Amino acid sequence: MSIVQNNSEKSKWYLPGILTGMGITMKHLVQNLLNKKQMTTLNYPEEKYEYGPRFKGNHILTVKQDGSLRCTACMLCATNCPAECIKITASEHSDPAVEKFPINYEIDMLRCVFCGFCEEACPVDAIRLGPEWQTPGISGANFTYDINHLAHRPSLKGGILTHVDDQERHKSGI
Amino acid sequence: MPKCTINGKEIEVKAGATIMEAMYQLKEPIAHYCYHPGLSVAGVCRLCIVDIEGQPRPQIACNTQVTEGMKVSNTSEKLKDGIKWVLDFHLINHPLDCPICDQAGECGLQDQYMQYGKYDPEMAEKKVKKHKVVDLGPTVVLDSERCILCSRCVRFTEEVSKTNELGIFNRGDRSEIGTADGKLLDNKYSLNTVDICPVGALTSKDFRFRQRVWYLKDSETVCNGCSTGCNVKVYFNKEGLFRVKPVQNDQVNGHWMCDEGRNTYKFVNSEVRLLKGRVSTSSGVEEKTAGAVAKQASSMLKSAGSDAVLVLSGQFTVEEYESIVSKFVNDFKSKKIYHWNNNKNQMNDFDGLLIRGDKNPNTKGLLKVLEKHGISTSWSDLESALKAGSVKALVVAAPENEEVYADLPQNIQMFSKAQNLIWLSTRKNQALSDLKGNVYQIPMKSYIEKSGTFINHAGLEQKFKRATTIVSEALTLSEAADLLAGQEFKMSSTQIPNVLVEEKRRPDQVMLEHRKKNEFVFRRGTL
Ligand code: SF4
Ligand code: SF4
Ligand code: SF4
Ligand code: SF4
Ligand code: FES
Repeated sequence: MSIVQNNSEKSKWYLPGILTGMGITMKHLVQNLLNKKQMTTLNYPEEKYEYGPRFKGNHILTVKQDGSLRCTACMLCATNCPAECIKITASEHSDPAVEKFPINYEIDMLRCVFCGFCEEACPVDAIRLGPEWQTPGISGANFTYDINHLAHRPSLKGGILTHVDDQERHKSGI
Repeated sequence: MPKCTINGKEIEVKAGATIMEAMYQLKEPIAHYCYHPGLSVAGVCRLCIVDIEGQPRPQIACNTQVTEGMKVSNTSEKLKDGIKWVLDFHLINHPLDCPICDQAGECGLQDQYMQYGKYDPEMAEKKVKKHKVVDLGPTVVLDSERCILCSRCVRFTEEVSKTNELGIFNRGDRSEIGTADGKLLDNKYSLNTVDICPVGALTSKDFRFRQRVWYLKDSETVCNGCSTGCNVKVYFNKEGLFRVKPVQNDQVNGHWMCDEGRNTYKFVNSEVRLLKGRVSTSSGVEEKTAGAVAKQASSMLKSAGSDAVLVLSGQFTVEEYESIVSKFVNDFKSKKIYHWNNNKNQMNDFDGLLIRGDKNPNTKGLLKVLEKHGISTSWSDLESALKAGSVKALVVAAPENEEVYADLPQNIQMFSKAQNLIWLSTRKNQALSDLKGNVYQIPMKSYIEKSGTFINHAGLEQKFKRATTIVSEALTLSEAADLLAGQEFKMSSTQIPNVLVEEKRRPDQVMLEHRKKNEFVFRRGTL
């Protein structure tokens, strides 16, 4: 790194700049004291900011009506993932109409960049990025989420239903 | 020898050749499903249409013979539109299965759709439902909905394997591939049907759902399943090998390979491999790197001198045999080199298509090297010497395909009578690790991990290149031979040929030597 020193005459006039800055700070201080409701900052973590429902936070694996995973283990999400953090192991399903399903689906949340590409790639609406985003963990916590967590964590209240159901698809003759 | 012009290129073909064959010869792209160069012509998919000058309508290329002066083209927009509509008919009843279909990524329908299709389906009718996940036999699974009825698989069982298991049943849009009641698709070449199926209708039970094909790299090599030496492609990624497919070579295997050969990848993967060198002596068991074990064994071998005995199985390359045999003959002055032949009786068996009784890829190569060095020994000499306990040091280049060595357990017991046993093998072997006495195990590289030559049953020399590395610390037999003879590796790092062509090099081009200097000698600026 090279440090360039500005020795010109102009650089000696720093005081007006500092005073302007202090002025702005003072203005906001007075404004906030007089009108607390308009304050732009939050008392985090007591107060929490509510994001819109389309916020891309932690992943959810959707389920079908019978409660089983919608995911077909096509691995398009894993292929599309720029962080290469999705690991899927596919297996043969006993029902020939389902044929293929994941016996293991893991996302390494510490590598995930929350780009949402997995959601875009999924042909069957099996993975979504949900509104949850505050998921701290203490030292030694596991940030590799498995099927159990992704599809059935308590906050999902029994699982999120997918839009694309096989039954309907078969009924309409596709 | 008629001459014709295809897309403006002139070509001479042999009499009776079809337009399709001419196009193959020219390597002109043409959409097709049912034509396969190794099978008879069926002309059922109608995708291979071409324009022939002077004919009002397109004709199929696979069933039209070339005549003198014929002018053929398949590039007009009208023709592409025609192909698109043929494709539409193929897809009428085709399910939306690509996410679960194992063929996705190497599927004929996907390829042609991307090339010619890209339309929205216009069928208002419901799709005809057929059988899914039909268990055809021990190796193959059928999905009738995905089948486009090209009949390649049927023709294969009729013409190549001559087992006639498959047929087309029912009529019209309810036609399905199947086997007659109670019969199974069960022959020694059944998995070829999976290769030639242009769609995901036939899938291999072994490979099904294990990997997506786009996660795999491929590399051509020679099968080491038997002395036929089929040309194959192995598919692998960093987890190991996943499947083997045949590569066309009319001299050796045509378009096919046997099912047994497809299993050869299983003894290459790290689960069954010897990963570390291992020395067990009276003072206990020690795990070491392969090179360290070889060096330790080398001092022991030196003391044995001309009493050192070498046993070779037919599963290594010619170059490796040459290297280790010449080390024994020249350095140790020992000509006690024996050929471990596991299938003396079936040596010349042949099933008429590909499979041979000699389950070693390079028996011919081994015999040739032994002959060159004037070595003729008999196995019974070795047996009696071992029985008498007079063998001081025995080096065994053990087979990687242990499954075909039925005499392996009994031979291990016999070899263990040697005072020192040096076991060079790719495989971990419990019986060997349980042996008492001095045993040096050195991990070897498998045929996928080295370049070399196999000489097949007919004396054809086939060179192959390294595909990937699975056990990085393993040695090739030549490297092991060098170390056993007390020499260092011959690493020719300075002789790596310059990839930049000499005359094209810029005068101020920074070469490797200078770059190294720059990186290690000078500091890259300071704060
Ligand atoms: S959000 Fe992006 S980085 Fe995270 S799992 Fe999905 S594709 Fe991968
Ligand atoms: S989540 Fe979607 S894209 Fe990923 S494997 Fe499952 S079905 Fe395929
Ligand atoms: S056969 Fe091809 S088009 Fe049909 S489901 Fe399989 S991959 Fe898709
Ligand atoms: S199963 Fe495959 S090879 Fe056989 S007819 Fe159907 S598409 Fe052709
Ligand atoms: S390839 Fe010619 S009709 Fe199928």
